[in-house]
Amino acid sequence: MSDTKPRKLKINILRYDPHIKGDEPHIDTFEIEEAPGMTLFIVLNDIREHHDASLKFDFVCRAGICGSCGMLINGKPGLACSTLTSRLPDEINLAPLPFFELIGDLSIYNGKWMRGMNERLETWIHHKEKELRDIDRIEEPMDPDLAEEIYELDRCIECGCCIAGCGTIQMNENFVGAVGLNKIARYRLDPRDERTDADYYELIGDENGVFGCMTLLGCEDVCPKKLPLQSKIAYMRRQMVKTGLNNNIRKCNCLQHEEKMPEH
Amino acid sequence: MSKLHHSRVPAYLDFLQSMSGLILALFIVGHILFEASILLGPDAMEKMTLFFEGYYFFGARYPIIITLLAAFIFALFILHAALAIRKIPSTYLQYKTFKTHKDRFRHEDTSLWMVQVVTGFAMFFLGSVHLYFMMVNPSKIGPYLSAQRVVEGWMWPLYLLLLFCVVLHAFVGLYRLALKWGWFEGKNYRTSRKIMKRLMRAGIAAYIVIGLASLGTYISIGLHLDETPAVKVDK
Amino acid sequence: MNIIYTDVLVVGGGLAGLRVATGVQERGHHTIVLTLVPPKRSHSAAAQGGMQASLGNCAMGWGDNEDIHFEDTVKGSDWGADQQVVRMFVNTAPKAIRQLTHYGVPWNRVRKGKHESIINAEKVVIEEKEEAHGLITARDFGGTKKWRTCYTSDGTGHSMLYAMDNKAHEDRVEIHERMEALSLIHHHGRCYGVVARNLMSGEIVAYIAKATTIATGGYGRIYEVSTNAIICQGTGQAIALESGIATLGNMEAVQFHPTAIVPVGILTTEGCRGDGGLLRDVDGYRFMPDYEPEKKELASRDVVSRRMIEHIRKGKGVPSRYGDHLWLDITILGRKHIEKNLREVKDICENFLGIDPAVDWIPVRPTQHYSMGGIRTKHTGESQTLKGLYACGEAACWDMHGFNRLGGNSVSETVVSGMLVAEYISDFCDSPQSHIGISTGAIEVFVEAEKEKIHRLLNNEGGEDAYVLRRAMEKIMMEKVGIFRNGKDLQDAVEQLEQLHIRSKNIGVFRSKSYAANPALVVAYRTQKMIKVALTVAYGALLRTESRGAHAREDYPMRDDINWLKRTITSWPDPEQTLPTVTYEPIDIMDMELPPGWRGYGKKNIIENPDSAIQQAKIDAIRNELLKKGADRFAIQKALMPYEHLLPERYRGRNERLYERFDEQKDDQ
Ligand SMILES: Cc1cc2nc3c(=O)[nH]c(=O)nc-3n(C[C@H](O)[C@H](O)[C@H](O)COP(=O)(O)OP(=O)(O)OC[C@H]3O[C@@H](n4cnc5c(N)ncnc54)[C@H](O)[C@@H]3O)c2cc1C
Ligand code: HEM
Ligand code: SF4
Ligand code: SF4
Ligand code: FES
Repeated sequence: MSDTKPRKLKINILRYDPHIKGDEPHIDTFEIEEAPGMTLFIVLNDIREHHDASLKFDFVCRAGICGSCGMLINGKPGLACSTLTSRLPDEINLAPLPFFELIGDLSIYNGKWMRGMNERLETWIHHKEKELRDIDRIEEPMDPDLAEEIYELDRCIECGCCIAGCGTIQMNENFVGAVGLNKIARYRLDPRDERTDADYYELIGDENGVFGCMTLLGCEDVCPKKLPLQSKIAYMRRQMVKTGLNNNIRKCNCLQHEEKMPEH
Repeated sequence: MSKLHHSRVPAYLDFLQSMSGLILALFIVGHILFEASILLGPDAMEKMTLFFEGYYFFGARYPIIITLLAAFIFALFILHAALAIRKIPSTYLQYKTFKTHKDRFRHEDTSLWMVQVVTGFAMFFLGSVHLYFMMVNPSKIGPYLSAQRVVEGWMWPLYLLLLFCVVLHAFVGLYRLALKWGWFEGKNYRTSRKIMKRLMRAGIAAYIVIGLASLGTYISIGLHLDETPAVKVDK
Repeated sequence: MNIIYTDVLVVGGGLAGLRVATGVQERGHHTIVLTLVPPKRSHSAAAQGGMQASLGNCAMGWGDNEDIHFEDTVKGSDWGADQQVVRMFVNTAPKAIRQLTHYGVPWNRVRKGKHESIINAEKVVIEEKEEAHGLITARDFGGTKKWRTCYTSDGTGHSMLYAMDNKAHEDRVEIHERMEALSLIHHHGRCYGVVARNLMSGEIVAYIAKATTIATGGYGRIYEVSTNAIICQGTGQAIALESGIATLGNMEAVQFHPTAIVPVGILTTEGCRGDGGLLRDVDGYRFMPDYEPEKKELASRDVVSRRMIEHIRKGKGVPSRYGDHLWLDITILGRKHIEKNLREVKDICENFLGIDPAVDWIPVRPTQHYSMGGIRTKHTGESQTLKGLYACGEAACWDMHGFNRLGGNSVSETVVSGMLVAEYISDFCDSPQSHIGISTGAIEVFVEAEKEKIHRLLNNEGGEDAYVLRRAMEKIMMEKVGIFRNGKDLQDAVEQLEQLHIRSKNIGVFRSKSYAANPALVVAYRTQKMIKVALTVAYGALLRTESRGAHAREDYPMRDDINWLKRTITSWPDPEQTLPTVTYEPIDIMDMELPPGWRGYGKKNIIENPDSAIQQAKIDAIRNELLKKGADRFAIQKALMPYEHLLPERYRGRNERLYERFDEQKDDQ
């Protein structure tokens, strides 16, 4: 490693604590000396421990796998724990992911949004018969390639970066986002889920679903897991248009949802 | 918000928006090229006009064909615009949120969408005027009449703006269409996207150059009309 | 006062907690899960390697069964495990994995035909059977005779946790996230729930339930460097301890992993060495052959970890701002191999170190990895001493890992114990004993006590800085209660930790005074709890004058089956005492199906108990006789150590395999 003098990093953090009366959003600046292998995880913990104990942020795995630490890093959504400072300029601006409910400073309540999205899209395997196969018996075989393909889409960590990078959701808060559309693509691929396209049309065949997406591709470009979002959203769009233009739309299985009246 | 259970409308709307956009864009791609025939000289342009008026098929000129064509495009244009309005930020707040997002994010494809909204919005006026003219005065097309309109009719500022708007809008639109529907994904869709983006940029550059050149030619013809009265071939 | 009533309260939304929750909910009991973070962010998501279950589908796992899995697990535990519990576990693991398939885990599948693989740095060709095509496949993992570790690419834990959380959605389990359990509510030896704090608003809530389950994972973060998520702070164990009634088991049993990256402690897989990666020191010298001439880098986890520390202590470590480390060199494997087979290692190197492992060496050091100890329970998951309190997963010690767990056995344990414990809890809830007999007044006492503690922390001007105490504790644990332990260091550690514990009563929160979301406050009260947990680990380690599994005493290098074949039981009956109370629970060789012997790896360094030979002779006799009569393996097992009666009825069935088909068996009869 070289002996050049370490950089002085200027960290500007957008702070606001909604629980403190009279607090206004403001920027706090901290100076940190850079060290080799330094990530924003190290930086933020350093600030909390040595400069300001009240600084709020979320880390769990600090290894880029749990999806807790999404934030705007110089304006771009990304995972703080897997961002090396050496890849950033001397001045680093950090802000919470927009759109989600703010807990304080960089900490957001995106778990709640994700839960709502999962419940809305019923992101679980739908078996027609509630009684499952006998678990003492040998499992159903599955094509090895298909299993790997499903996993490729299952890799989403619900970090919310795609939501923060999506212009559509800024204007339509009911939009399911790339994370939701990807999940439908994942279940559609899974032969164990017996839902049909007509069922999926129920879930995403409107302006809050796949037809709301304006192909801005913010999602595709920021997803830390490099999920094939662009390709899968396009795919779901084709399937849903096909379903919508077909006449057998009413033949959906309606596994979970009974015939619902349009609700308000 | 109420959910449109079982409604097929959103699927149709999305499909129509893209289809109308696609046809319009392809039309524009052709249209600007045909207009550019002026670069090959007035005769070429004249021949082109004759071609579109059906002269080479029917042995006579039927400007009504132009009217029909223009009416068709105008209808598509209106359809497309009507559908697009759903997407355009409808309140100032929405616009503001989007703009904040775009400025903070500095993400090219997001900004490109903004380009489309702005150019689309502008064309709402510019395009309407142009199309209306073409529809009601189909016979007044030709190297000299057109040139006259450009200069003396003070149409050139409108055309200049329209050119930029329509070229940007069409090529960005085509690029986004391909991504939106997953066309030309090839083996690695990420590489394909890069290639398509390059094609989009090249298209924009080429068409702006061609368009400016043609417009320039019309203007220069228009400015020199008095000097060449003898050649006024129109009826 | 906000009191929330439910049938079953589950503290922890990892694999174990979610599996309990869906189990009881499906049996018709209302369930609430409390968790620090959204369940999908729990530490379980980090498990990459896989889940052990003896399916025997892949060629290298062919012939596997419960008996072999049992043997591997007991040997791995260095005979510390409860063998009946291990039996329950190995019989349920195949069911658990098949059930997870219904919940949506894709699992990698067997692909028929030949494929190449690297075993101990050598290329071999393996041929998979046609009939196994599409069934769940498995990979090799340390300490197993057969390839038994089932996996989903590099995200086994992730795909399992997502499937479980989605299942919980389907079952409409109520999940209260960012809700931290602070203490147990109990009355007359019976647990009735917890006092919890909302980490966003700061609200203190009492959750009252017929049964309370702790599934809060491990306590790795009491160490300075750990592969664990930063929320694995042992607060679950701490609140059980602080009840004064519940007990903890084998807290000194802590596992280390040899190759986590420096500084952040993220794991690089064993595969690096399995494929031929080398360990080098400050001079670039490959040192492992000097210590382990035979197995070199491929010796078992604990052996490699210890050798690395030994070498660093000789001054051969590479100094860095974050302490000394060694190098893991996989450049020799070539870029192609790394990009194809070790993709996640490459990603970790790029994202967290900014280096290219095909060119650069990776800085690594042994790092805390797994907590074998935990809340001591019966085989039902219920605390031995506090009725109505249950525990499972890494948080518990029911005790299937003994003094060392095998890789791949822990995610397996989480779901298996979740399945089983859910049944026992449901049975309990169905019985009249589950009646909630605590008054509001009694609940209020617990709530007020927690409010008072927080109030004191926030208003203690000039108190101790929690960060200072926390860092001191982490350092002590790392240096003195680490991979190598000795009496002197442990004595020091216990004394220093005791001082820290006393000082921790005087922690004050500076600068950040909010009662709502306040990280400084959280650090403060968790540090108090963590120091207590650290004390149970250090004190248990000091008293245990032998080496067993992951507990390695330099001054007592032998495993002592005469004096130490027993479980350490720790409790904290009086809040004023400054050291935990330690007692022991004997493990009887005469009850064992597999009496103590040599593990088959590591040093043969045992003080044998004469009972071992006696029991072994008895077992051999029974086995031979039954074999003569033509008895099958199930009959023999039953004669040696019956355990099926301990399992819930619905999980007592045998497991079908390609070579143990149900219909074939029926034809035979
Ligand atoms: C890097 C790494 C790799 C691993 N790989 C493997 C592997 O390949 N195979 C294998 O078998 N095992 C592996 N393990 C071990 C395995 O992942 C864990 O043992 C297992 O996931 C623990 O699951 P759990 O449900 O018990 O706890 P966790 O998943 O840790 O969940 C704990 C839950 O409790 C909650 N919680 C904690 N404290 C509180 C509180 N006070 N109040 C409320 N909620 C609380 C948390 O929010 C969390 O939801 C690995 C471990 C590590 C560190
Ligand atoms: C009144 C004039 C017009 C307006 C207001 C308008 C507006 C828009 C808007 C807002 C979009 C984005 C829609 C979305 O993101 O889903 C769009 C898309 C598009 N427009 Fe236009 N436009 C107009 C005219 C034209 C013309 C003249 C052309 C042809 C050159 C054209 C071609 C396209 C194409 C190809 C798309 C992409 C289609 C899609 O996303 O589905 N538009 N237009
Ligand atoms: S799709 Fe990608 S960006 Fe979106 S939540 Fe999942 S991992 Fe994050
Ligand atoms: S492609 Fe669709 S989902 Fe992705 S950012 Fe754009 S609008 Fe949002
Ligand atoms: S902390 Fe888990 S992804 Fe960053």
